This record gives sequence, structure tokens and C-alpha cells, in this order.
Amino acid sequence: MLESLPSTKPQQPTNHHPFTKQSTTTKVASFELRKNDKYYAWLFLGPSLLLLGVFVFYPMLRTFYLSLFLTNNFGQPTVFVGVQNYLNLLKSAPYLASLRATVTYVVGVAVLTLVLGLLLAAMANQKLRGIGFFRTIFTATMGVSVSVSAIFWLFMFNPTTGVLNQIVMFFGGQPIAWLTKPGWAMVAVIVTSVWMHLGFTFLLFFGALQSVPKSLYDAADVGGASAWYQFWHITLPMISPTMFFVGVVTLISAFKSFGLIDLMTAGGPTDATNLLVYRIYKDAFMNGNYAQASTESIILAVIIAVITLVQFKLLAKRVTY
Amino acid sequence: MKAVQNLFKTYWQVLGVVGLVIIGFSIFGYARTQVQAASSRIKVVFWHEMKGPGQQQLNEFIAAFNKSQSKYEVVPQFQGSYNAVIQKVMNTHGTSASPAVFQSMDISTSQMYHSGYTVPVQKFIDRDHYDIDQIASVARGVATRNGKLLAMPFNTSQTTLFYNAGLFKKYGIKPLPVSPSYSDISRVSQQLYQKSNHQIKGMSVEAYSWLFEQFLSNANEEFANQHDGHTGISTKVNFTGPVALESMKWLQGRAKAGDLMNYGDAKNETAAFLSGKLGLFMQSSADTSLLIKGLGKNLGVTYYPHPDGVKPNGISVGGASLWIANDKSAAVQEGAWEFTKFLVNAQNQAKWEKATGYLAINTHSAKEPVLKKLYAQYPMTKVPGDQLRSAQANYTNSGIFIDGVIAARALIENAMQQIYAGKDVYQSLKTAENSYNKVLKSTNRANGRG
Repeated sequence: MLESLPSTKPQQPTNHHPFTKQSTTTKVASFELRKNDKYYAWLFLGPSLLLLGVFVFYPMLRTFYLSLFLTNNFGQPTVFVGVQNYLNLLKSAPYLASLRATVTYVVGVAVLTLVLGLLLAAMANQKLRGIGFFRTIFTATMGVSVSVSAIFWLFMFNPTTGVLNQIVMFFGGQPIAWLTKPGWAMVAVIVTSVWMHLGFTFLLFFGALQSVPKSLYDAADVGGASAWYQFWHITLPMISPTMFFVGVVTLISAFKSFGLIDLMTAGGPTDATNLLVYRIYKDAFMNGNYAQASTESIILAVIIAVITLVQFKLLAKRVTY
Repeated sequence: MKAVQNLFKTYWQVLGVVGLVIIGFSIFGYARTQVQAASSRIKVVFWHEMKGPGQQQLNEFIAAFNKSQSKYEVVPQFQGSYNAVIQKVMNTHGTSASPAVFQSMDISTSQMYHSGYTVPVQKFIDRDHYDIDQIASVARGVATRNGKLLAMPFNTSQTTLFYNAGLFKKYGIKPLPVSPSYSDISRVSQQLYQKSNHQIKGMSVEAYSWLFEQFLSNANEEFANQHDGHTGISTKVNFTGPVALESMKWLQGRAKAGDLMNYGDAKNETAAFLSGKLGLFMQSSADTSLLIKGLGKNLGVTYYPHPDGVKPNGISVGGASLWIANDKSAAVQEGAWEFTKFLVNAQNQAKWEKATGYLAINTHSAKEPVLKKLYAQYPMTKVPGDQLRSAQANYTNSGIFIDGVIAARALIENAMQQIYAGKDVYQSLKTAENSYNKVLKSTNRANGRG
């Protein structure tokens, strides 16, 4: 669903046809092909349509169907309630709190990852002795799985023995209840998530920076432009496609954060980190309330679809390809 | 044109390869099932949720059972958490992925009963004239409906208070009575916090609904109408009764005074307790063996606390029971029953209590040398069992017979977190109560119970 969204982008009309281009020599062959286009289209699209139909479209429709019912202990729809599930959810304070928490988390993760990733990439782009070592280090988090990083950060956040509180106490502060105070718990999961995303973001930005032609900077130097001016007017426009890509990917990936939340806070304390995806999981597979989980899934799908569309409409204009 | 033809060739080639792979896997899979079928033993798939020492001991039991006879082979499959297993059972029933026998927790009794997916063990008990009186009656209470035993209790625990007797001695604090009241606990918690110059926290009560439920049980307060669901379908819950309010106000007061620390989860809490930074906490008796490893004879154990001036009513048992699924052949069910009997015999239950801290539910277990030795060496390990035996079973201390208590637990745990964060006790509990009443109403409606 999420991955298929980018295809909603309006396609550029193409003048050449991949098959006809090859066969302009014989008019007959060209005609045959045009007549059979439909057949070819189904032949080539068939397998993926079949797979998508079974694994994407049917579950989506089924989810929507379930969201209009109450489901019993076996997950079967029993009582038709129309849009009542939607109304209940949108009026429910815990759900709205989840929505707010998700926005905080997603925006926090996306912005911090972009800024820090770019910063690291800009630093690693300098020609210094031993910079290769740092370039490797900065990408290192790519090789760390969600469970490992969650456990690793859990140790650091531990209120009594964790290294972060040791540092806080060293400077005379009171130990912070990282994962048990609602505000701090959100900080903790954002920090961990940013840390996890950083390696991949860094790598993409670094690649983009490396591919900016040096001649542009040389020309700017000759023109007497400051480093700051060069960054804004050469670097940023040149890497804007990458920024756009990283932005979309990070945002969607943040929306889908599950393992991290499950391992670090399980949605707590007081639902402070009970993000939409995690709430769906809990409602379906812990509480057995499939109707409510389906309703939440549909709402989340709509939210992500809208955000992605807005991103494409707004940002696509500003991106220099 | 040639290019198109080539493209087609590639297309059919790819399709052909995919087809071959699928056929290959099918043959492989089929061959494997044939090999399995060729083994003469009847496979009994067993789902459990035991970790740590429990899992170790359970695996030993299974190995011993498989060795003791040649008819059945029990295959253990770890399923994660108690919470998750209910939905897994509901979703796999009737498929080849479902278990023959599974472990499911106390508060799932109602849902398992209503599902109709299991064979009540009473059927086997009656047929074999199995002596069920050897199983402690309070433990049976939580898996009984209308006088019939639905599932066999296996790992039975109770909430218990643990304290660090070494710290108490060091700071000259009088130890707790065996059945402490709220103010007894306040006293020692405060003293420890003061005398250690705030270096040691006095107490911790995890924001865990099971503990909340036991505060109610121990003061004979109902959690839900219809006597906690034991006499009919509950339609309303009650989280704002006098005892609920008193216990939560007590905990909030301690948190405000600073001697109670909310560690967020049991892991952090246990770590603090074992490293001598926490005086007392309340958790499952199943933690006993772990805590003895850490503190040895310095571990103190008492009954679960009761409000001042109230006679303790006793508390529900926690833990889980063994359910035999009805979607397998009679032969497999027979194997499941044999295995169930094996797990609860006197000798194995004694080993089980020694290895884990779950309470031996077989009344003959106390005579086993393993337990006699344990009680002689560490007298405090006997306390949770005494608590269990001293209670007279009634509606408020026999668990909650409602479908989907997990959702209620999540709401109560949120309320407890809010209470620790300083929010109004009544408001927090009332919000949880109202939310769950709505859930209960729609659950009953969806399942056709008015």
C-alpha cells in the first residue's frame, strides 16, 4: 500500500512506444503489435496483479469491511455498526492522544534525521586524514538490527545503572526516569530511532554530496561566493532529489516504527509512546478487537496517503532534478 | 520484432523457473510430512510461554516424559507472552498449526471456556477416576466453571511481598509481620528511605494490573458485577470502590513522599532490588528462586498487604493452566492428557516449585524430599504456599471470569501510571472504569450476550 503510492504521481506522457520503436521497419508487424497490446499488458501485469490482489487489495478491502462491524472473540464480524467505529475512535481521548504522539514522533524523527544526517555527511565530505574511518563509523548503524539497538539503548536509559544517568549524576543532576516519565519516554524513543536511521541517511547524503560537480564550487570560488552562500545555492539544490527521497522514506519508516516501540516501551508509560501502528497491533493481537484495529488501520492508511500526496505535490515543485 | 520475441522468451523462462521452484518446494514439503508420518510416535504439540528457569525446567520435564514412554512425543513450542497466545489459539484452531495442548493464563479462562475450542479436563478425570483432590482446591478455583474443571492448573503463583532483610538489619528496622497492612509497609519504607539518606528507595509497586486486582481480592472487593463473572455475564466493572481508592491513594502518597519509586517495569525493579537500592517490592511468587540466587538468606517474604483494620481475604492465584484442544484426534488428546498428568504429579510439582518459585499445586508435593530440603534451607520459600493454603476460596479471590480482561489491564495500568505521575486518583480510575465498561458492552454485543 505504502510502497505503491508513489505511482500515483502523474506520469509524463510518453511519445515513443517501447515496442513500436523497434519495429518501424515493417508496418504490418507494428499493426499486429498494437492490436495485441491488450494481450501483452495482461500477460505482463497478470502475475503482479494476482499477487497484489491476494496479498494487498483483498486484505485492504477486508479490513475496510471489518471496520464497519463489531467482531466477536473469533474475529468474525457479527453486528453491523456502520461508521460508528470511526466516530467512537475520533471521539476517544486515548486515540487522539496516540495521534498526537505519532505526529510528535514522526516529525521529530524525520527532522532530526535529515538535519543530523546532512551535518554528518557535510563533515565527512571534507578531505582530511583518516576521514575514511569516520565515514565507516557514521554508516555503522545500518548494520545494527532493531532489536539490538533497542536493547543497547535500554541499557543506556536504565534509571539506576544506565550510562546516561551516570553522566547526569556526575554533573550533579537528578537521575532521569527515561522510560517511565511520559515526556522523557518520547525523547528516548525518538533519540533511538534517529540513531538507527542515521547511518542510512548519512550514506545517501554523502553519496549525493560526492556527486556534486566540483566545477560548480570552483566557479563560485572564482566569483567570490562565501561557503554559506555556496551551501544554499549550490549544494542544497544539487542534493534536493536526495533530500526529498530521504524525507519521504524516513517519514514513512517512522510511521511504521514497531519493533523499537515494542521492545523499549510497549506503548507506555500512560500510552505516551503508543503510536498508531503499535495501537493497531495491541488492539488486534492482544485485545482481540479486530473491528477497532481495522478501523485504526484504515485511518492510518488514509493519513499516510494524504501526507505522501501532499509531499509529492508540494515538494516535487521545489526539487531540482 | 526480434526484441519482442526475446522478451517473451525471457518471460516464459522466468515463469518456468518460478514454477519449477514451487513444484520443488512442494515435493520437499510433502516428502518431509511423509518422513514425519513414518515416525511411529504420536506427536503432541505443546505451546507454552515459559522463559528463564521455567523454560529450562519445562524442557527437562518434556525430555523425561518422552523418555518415559514410547507412544507419544511432546514437541514444545515457545509462544512468547501470555497476552499473545490467546489470539494465536483463536486464529489457528482447526488448522495444522494449532497445538494439542497449550498453556494459557488465569484471566483467559472465560474466553477459552466460551470459545468451545477445548475439552474440559473434567472429562478425562471422570473417565479415569483421577484423584483430583490431590490438586489444591484454591488453584482449581480459577479454572473451574459450574463445578467442572476446564483446564489443569500447572504453574500457579501468587503475588507476594519481597523485602531485603539484610538492608532492614543494617539500618535497624523492625522486620515486617507475615501478613502486613498498608501502614506496616509505609513505616518500613519511610524508615529505610530516611535512614539511608535517600540513597535507598523504600518500596516499589509496579504499575501492573495484577497487583491492583489483588488489592481488591485481599479486601473482598468485587472487580466486576455478577461476582466477578462467576455467576453470569458481567456487564459492569468497578475500579472506584473504597479499597481501590484507598490502595491507590496510599501508593500515590508514598510516591509523593519520595520513598516509593516507579521503575517502569519489573526488570528495572528487580535489578534495583538485587543491587540493594530498593527495600521491598511486590511481584509474583514465581520470582522467588531468582531472588534467592541474588540475596540468599537475606531475602524476606511476606503475604500480600491488606488495608488497615481489614481481615485479609486471601488473593487469587495467578499463572496459567494447561488446556487440551478439541481439534486433534482422540489419540493426540490422550497424549495431551497423559502429559498433563505427568506435569502435575507430586514429584514434578515439587521440582517445579524448587526450580521456579511457582507453587506446587499437588498437595503431596510437600512430602517430597526436594521441597523438604528447600524449606529447611530457606524457610521464607514456604511463605507463598502458606498464603495460598490459608485462603478460603470465594468469588473475589478466584480470578475474574470475563472475556478480554487484557484490555481492562491495559487501562488500569495507564491509570496507575497517571496516579504515580500525580494525577487525581478517583479521576484516573474512573476514566479506566468508563472506558472498560464501553469495551465490555460492545464485547457482549458482538458475542451475542445482550
